[in-house]
Amino acid sequence: MNIEMKGVTKSFGSNTVLRGVDFNLLAGEVHALMGENGAGKSTLMNIMTGLHKKDDGQIVIDGKEQLFENPKEAENYGISFIHQEMITWPEMTVLENLFMGKEIKTNFGWIKTKDMKNKANNIFKELGINIDFEKQMKTLSVGQQQLVEIAKTLMNDTEVIIMDEPTAALTDREIELLFKIINQLKEKNVAIVYISHRMEEIFKISDRVTVMRDGISISTKPTKETYYDEIVRQMVGRDLEDYYPTIESEKGEVVLEVKELSRSTLFNEISFKLHSGEIIGFSGLMGSGRTEIMRAIFGIDRLEKGEIFIEGKKVEIKTPNDAISKGIGFLTENRKDEGLFLDFSIRDNISMTAFEEFSKYGWINRKEEADFVDLLIKRLTVKTTDMELPASALSGGNQQKVVLAKWIGAGSKVLILDEPTRGVDVGAKKEIYSLMKELTERGVGIIMVSSDLPEVIGVSDRVIVVHEGKIAGELSKESLSEEKIMTLATGGS
Amino acid sequence: MEAKSKSITQTKAKRSELFRKLGPLIALIVLVVVVTFLNTNFINPTNILNLLRQVSVNALIAFGMTFVIITGGIDLSVGSTLALSGALTAGILAAGVPPVVAIFAGLLIGAALGLLNGIVITKGKVAPFIATLATMTIFRGLTLVYTEGNPITGFSDDFTFLFFGRGYLFGIPFPVVLMAIAFGILFVLLHKMTFGRKTFAIGGNENASYIAGIKSDRVKYTVYAISGMMSALAGLILTSRLNSAQPTAGTAYELDAIAAVVIGGTSLAGGKGRIVGTLIGALIIGTLNNGLNLLGVSSFYQQVVRGIVIIIAVLLDRKK
Amino acid sequence: MKKLFGLLTIFTMFLLGACGSATLEGEQSDESEKVAEISPDEMTIGLSISTLNNPFFGQLQEGVEDKAEENGTTVRTVDAQDDTATQINGIDDLIQQGVDVLLINPVDSDAITPAIESANAAGIPVITLDRSSEGGEVVTLIASDNVQGGEMAAEHIVELVGENAKVVQLEGTPGASAANERGEGFNNVANEKLDVVDSQSANFSRSEGLTVMENLLQSNSDIDAVFAQNDEMALGAIEAIEAAGLEDIVVIGFDGNEDALAQIEEGRLDATVAQQPYEMGSLAVQAAYDYVSGKDVENVISSPLELMTAE
Repeated sequence: MNIEMKGVTKSFGSNTVLRGVDFNLLAGEVHALMGENGAGKSTLMNIMTGLHKKDDGQIVIDGKEQLFENPKEAENYGISFIHQEMITWPEMTVLENLFMGKEIKTNFGWIKTKDMKNKANNIFKELGINIDFEKQMKTLSVGQQQLVEIAKTLMNDTEVIIMDEPTAALTDREIELLFKIINQLKEKNVAIVYISHRMEEIFKISDRVTVMRDGISISTKPTKETYYDEIVRQMVGRDLEDYYPTIESEKGEVVLEVKELSRSTLFNEISFKLHSGEIIGFSGLMGSGRTEIMRAIFGIDRLEKGEIFIEGKKVEIKTPNDAISKGIGFLTENRKDEGLFLDFSIRDNISMTAFEEFSKYGWINRKEEADFVDLLIKRLTVKTTDMELPASALSGGNQQKVVLAKWIGAGSKVLILDEPTRGVDVGAKKEIYSLMKELTERGVGIIMVSSDLPEVIGVSDRVIVVHEGKIAGELSKESLSEEKIMTLATGGS
Repeated sequence: MEAKSKSITQTKAKRSELFRKLGPLIALIVLVVVVTFLNTNFINPTNILNLLRQVSVNALIAFGMTFVIITGGIDLSVGSTLALSGALTAGILAAGVPPVVAIFAGLLIGAALGLLNGIVITKGKVAPFIATLATMTIFRGLTLVYTEGNPITGFSDDFTFLFFGRGYLFGIPFPVVLMAIAFGILFVLLHKMTFGRKTFAIGGNENASYIAGIKSDRVKYTVYAISGMMSALAGLILTSRLNSAQPTAGTAYELDAIAAVVIGGTSLAGGKGRIVGTLIGALIIGTLNNGLNLLGVSSFYQQVVRGIVIIIAVLLDRKK
Repeated sequence: MKKLFGLLTIFTMFLLGACGSATLEGEQSDESEKVAEISPDEMTIGLSISTLNNPFFGQLQEGVEDKAEENGTTVRTVDAQDDTATQINGIDDLIQQGVDVLLINPVDSDAITPAIESANAAGIPVITLDRSSEGGEVVTLIASDNVQGGEMAAEHIVELVGENAKVVQLEGTPGASAANERGEGFNNVANEKLDVVDSQSANFSRSEGLTVMENLLQSNSDIDAVFAQNDEMALGAIEAIEAAGLEDIVVIGFDGNEDALAQIEEGRLDATVAQQPYEMGSLAVQAAYDYVSGKDVENVISSPLELMTAE
């Protein structure tokens, strides 16, 4: 199937999102679609699949103009959209999820489980997926769920698949598998639109790249003929020379020391020291235990063994409340569930760890609070017109800044940042990095857990690599490279 | 360009917020105008005071319920708490204890019963609906056991106690005065103090609140204790007003209270709500009851109308 | 917790300080006791019914309305849905409307007192129906002689199953005067001539009558007769008895509502002490006319009773 979109425009009210986009997709290619958040990528794809109606322009499929009333129609035509946030039925089995709404049944509505299993088995075999049909969807890892979702689209002879950030939550092994599947699909002449912020993946898997900015398509090129810096420049509209800040800050005393932390099967004998003004990168594969260590230090999960020292003094941390009172802050990887109060105002979000500071006899001084929040909004350049707006009205990057502001406002001496730039666009990423540097200059010690290797290398003073719940090794700034980190992370030495 | 589009979605969010806040008030005004138009007796000052007195019991319970619902919980035991604390207070009065002490004791009993709900919910990790469903029947049963199924009467002709439910202060019924005081205190507690901020936080995102260092168990105890105490206060007013403690008092009152909270724009999912809305919600329900009586509408139709109003209120609230 | 005590203290302090300019409900005004003469066709009667979910009170309401309509009187009805507080509020609303006479069928004899005092203060004469009031000034009470009715039921049981038969009693809502009086009448006879093995409340409701009877049958399977203090409970009891496969237990109800009379014809219910609620309503309206036109009205007006059996 070949799709050609010409001069597509779209406005929501007085807000113009697309202003004449050209995009063409050829059968059997992987076409990367790049752009910052808000550039119009999702809107374009939603127009292609019938969720939104275009205002103007043309969509031609195999030489014929086509317009879908809704995504269901597009799906029947052979175009599927795998969204970043998948819609699944967590309590139901994999098989039930695969055939949701498309059950194979007799004329009397009796569901033919055996036929469904056979069909699913064939597809799973073809894709090289090995997942038990009878398992509940919720027991699967996010990566496995993603694979089930892909299998689901192939159930109905799909010719075009749109993938929005498919690797955001996958382990490296799962990414390998995904790429293998994508290559198989190419051979079967399926066209794939691949939306991602991860530059390395684009160069690894795509055939052509289209970059969008501010509702127009800037360029479409074969991937081989472009390079990293060019894409970044096209996305942000300027050069990003100092992408990672280079200011060297003074390392001071040890602010956090942990000794032999253990929790049964998750991690063992974890010891390290963090100095004030230092950024330690924590690297490791997904599921290696790096996030679990941080959650235990912060008192969310129980520690079975081990000691924690803050500025040389031994402390007991049983709840996050204890951790906060000792000066630790924790930005979790799960922004929506654990970081943000989406319906609450930006003000309430930012002052969530600090409002008691502005209170006398339990009475909140709203004026002082507003000044404080205002200061943080300016310092972190959160893009908003009004601090009383709900956090849900902000883009992903600005939401992350709000969560960060909350921990800075708590006056943390030790900041643990778990995947601080996940789902954040290039511009906001850069601002978050400079903010981290700025904090270290004021003597804050930072632990950054991240799967993004260029980021780990670019920002950290040293890197600790975790493998299967143990510290596999430590790399100093001078000796950092992606290869070395990956070797340690996969159990080599 | 991006900044512009953002500011548009932001103003939109703000406008719907404003509508959400004003919706119930507009509904109340429309209702008052319509009822007055149909029967001018309605707007008569004595009827308005009469109406406010009728509303006070439900409003007090609904104030407490607002806190509970904002944390994402529910308290089904309010009606039974009302009956049990009313009956125990009557018993205490009958034993010759001074009325002021008895009133104190009654409020404490209510708070203790609420606290019990809170403990079952937090320590026992029982869903609020189930926990308070259980205590609803337990408290009702205890009331019947204590009263042996008969109303308690003739326990006090003391002025102070009678004044509680039947008195007038500067021409205003005392239950209305109590409602106003409770409203003032709870408004400040919910919207101006750290306790209220924590109440909202727990309902808005319990995980994020825990990680932000908020001790949710403590907040929950207090919230259910407030609900219990407000029910007890309502129970004392009823006991004084009826000059008897009825074992079946307060049956199904939880539904009226929840209705008032929901009509007032508080979300049953938690994290969102206003106590002013609850007051307006209680006034809407009270105006309906009073107005439909004044208009001579059959009580069967009254129930139909009340249900319809609840649905309209919720639909208006959802309209953005 | 601190906040709770704060709340408490403020309430009490307010209470202590408030007594200065305070009055109580029912004390505000003292309009003249004498009622102005009104002709029936200019009169508005306010009727407060305990619950319209029970057909008995439905007939009572019909009796009031039909009699009133005959004479051109307007009737405003409020339903208390068996809740004492709702009833007081409803009566307040009727007083607000300026009705000329109040006919009240109380949910509870004690709890109705404040409402009657309010009506007294507003100078509106009150007539109670079926149940009395413990306080306030009432023109008259229209009620069946429940004590006599209870006695009639007990005597009839003795006739049917003989002396010293085993009997259970289903009581009405605790505290309701009808329940107390019917029980008193029944016991007057039963204590001498029958063996009352158990007596429990089923709150005048059919569904509770069913479950209470089921429970009673669990512990006493050899009973000869059941006296239910109203028909609804009797009809519930019959279902329980038939479900248990017992057939020769005599069941006697009270009230004589339509359902009960039909069941007597079918031979399921043995007898009922029939009240005549329609008549009761009618008598109440007549008493209101009499009072307003200055005639003497008795303190208690008995509404006729009749034992209805299959013959």
